[in-house]
Amino acid sequence: MKPLPLYASLVVGLAILAAAPLYGDNYVVRTAAIVAMYGALATSWNFIGGFTGYPSFSTAAFFGLGAYVGALCQRSGVPMVVAWAIASVAVAAFAALLGGILLRLRGHYFAIGSIAVVELCRLIVSSWSSLTGGGDGLNLPLVQGTPEDLMRFFLMVMLVILAASLLVTILVDRSRLGFGLRCIHQNEDAAAMVGVNTTAYKVAAYTLSAVFCAAAGATYASWTGYIDPTDSFQIVLTVKVVVMALLGGAGTILGPAIGAAAFVLLEEVFWANFIDWNRAILGLVIVVLIFFLPGGLLSLRRRLMPGGAA
Amino acid sequence: MSDMGLLRSARLALLAGGLAAGLLAAGAAKAQEVIKIGAPLALTGGLADEGKKQDIVWKMWVEKVNAAGGLQVGDKKMKVELIEYDYQSEGQRASQLAEKLINDDKVQFLFAPFGSGHTKIVAGVGERYQIPTIACVASSESVFDQTFKHLFGTLSPNGGMTTAMVKLFKEKYPETKTIAVLGRDDVFPKSMAEGIAKAAEAQGLTVAYKELYPVGTMDHAAALSSIKATKPDWIYITGYTQDLILARKQMQDLGVTAPIVTMVTGPSYKEFTEGLGKLANGITSSSWWHHATSYTGEGVWPTTAAFYEEFKAKTGGDPDYVHGSCAAAGEVIADALERTGSLDKAKLRDAIAATDIQTFYGPIKFGPNGMNLPRELPIIQVQDETIKVLAPAAIKNADMIAMPK
Repeated sequence: MKPLPLYASLVVGLAILAAAPLYGDNYVVRTAAIVAMYGALATSWNFIGGFTGYPSFSTAAFFGLGAYVGALCQRSGVPMVVAWAIASVAVAAFAALLGGILLRLRGHYFAIGSIAVVELCRLIVSSWSSLTGGGDGLNLPLVQGTPEDLMRFFLMVMLVILAASLLVTILVDRSRLGFGLRCIHQNEDAAAMVGVNTTAYKVAAYTLSAVFCAAAGATYASWTGYIDPTDSFQIVLTVKVVVMALLGGAGTILGPAIGAAAFVLLEEVFWANFIDWNRAILGLVIVVLIFFLPGGLLSLRRRLMPGGAA
Repeated sequence: MSDMGLLRSARLALLAGGLAAGLLAAGAAKAQEVIKIGAPLALTGGLADEGKKQDIVWKMWVEKVNAAGGLQVGDKKMKVELIEYDYQSEGQRASQLAEKLINDDKVQFLFAPFGSGHTKIVAGVGERYQIPTIACVASSESVFDQTFKHLFGTLSPNGGMTTAMVKLFKEKYPETKTIAVLGRDDVFPKSMAEGIAKAAEAQGLTVAYKELYPVGTMDHAAALSSIKATKPDWIYITGYTQDLILARKQMQDLGVTAPIVTMVTGPSYKEFTEGLGKLANGITSSSWWHHATSYTGEGVWPTTAAFYEEFKAKTGGDPDYVHGSCAAAGEVIADALERTGSLDKAKLRDAIAATDIQTFYGPIKFGPNGMNLPRELPIIQVQDETIKVLAPAAIKNADMIAMPK
């Protein structure tokens, strides 16, 4: 996509979400915040899954760890926003260390390894009762304010995280890093041969895929006011995020965020109308979309207007 | 620029879809004057069995109330509408749906879903909007210690279950000296495991083994082998039905046994005895309610027997404590509405806090933390694959037997 339309659609998209309080009630605002949250998660996944082509399933691990680090900081008296920042930095460091080991695996082996990270984190958090409260979960101080104000506040925070992740995506896309990652995607051995430091690049992508998830997780923890291991480290969350990115178009700049919006809205619509069948219908829609639109929603442009776009 | 146009229209279409869905729901909600109770339920996913139990009795209650013309509010009768959504056993969904129920469906009350953890999540949303939330399946005091003003629970604190049990078993089997405790690391089962260890120590028993296993454990062999090595007089395992069926089968395989074997909540659910058949014999447990009790009181079911008969006619099975407690949750709302005679949020909240009623499920009167006050809870045992009540004396229908060898 050419720069101008790209920026324009980005700004329009963010504005539509940010304006949710103007045209909808709290439920719509909440849905907008969830769209922003999943948008940030899918955009994060895009660094490692889309650009680099490594099928990572660690999203839930980063999200859950972010939630726990943020919650623990807040409980020991750190102000909320500072706690979010600490969570992001700590989880990014964790991802960098872990990436150094895990990224030696490729393909299916990496996928399985990255799923194991989620389970492992869940087990550790759930067994380390003295620190994390184990299965009892953790209560966070409830943020004071009317439900409307709170919802707006958390919508804005999620939007900031989404905007930051998109901004970094654009920067990476234009930089040497993005080029290197695409080389790795196409042929890792060849990339190494022409002088791309594949390990460092992959670790960078993996770390980037963690940092925004952690921020979203920490924010989410403050938002609900209660977290427990089962809900924080959900394999379903990981899988959903990957589906969203594929739905929108993996490896593109806006694709994952658009996929997230489409997925969340579809989910809501099916929910409201088909209580018993919503999962089956959603599953079907996903299969059909991926089957007929393997390049994601963004590839529609090319199909509908052969001459129109790059 | 054509791609930008398309993108924008795609976005608008998505947004319009979302908005239309929201408007439809809101439109339907405003159509009539009724009492609305919202219930995020786990109808699919890991907690589906429990969610369906809540679903059955709530529907039974609503049907019966509406057949009688509705609930008395001041000088008129108002019909009740129950609005349920499936939260698929995911905590995040539960809070989202609670919010939807309050904002879109404009419910005046919430029923919390199964389990202490998800009750906490839903109650947090109710608290923000000052919507009274009735929890019928959360018994851990840690749920009620967050100074929520709008959360009320119909189960009694589970602390009451442990002391009485240790006392009864020591009376029956004075030679009981050691206990081994294995608990699921989850809000309710964990607090029961810790509670029993404390109660046992307080009454002079030695805790020979005490460990928690993480949620989702598929193999208890290692823990059971360690328990076997300590040769305890009493084995106490907590968890949900699937965990406990697995633990009991593995105990059989590994030859682990003791004169007393207790599983909580195990025998409280008929799925447990059905799943284990003969192996369930001799297992003791505690419960919050049993249909052998004979309470009388106000509400659509005047006696325990009336509830039992109707439940049996409807489903063919026996109700357990989840059914009893959740059906009684409706009576709390009915009573509060009758006493306030209005739909004012603050008045209703205060009226619920002042609840003091007798129902088929037993007395309901909330303590300062919003939990039903402690009372004598039934201790039960599986004998010949059916549930017998060992205590309290008023409803006792069998003597305790030792675990079959």
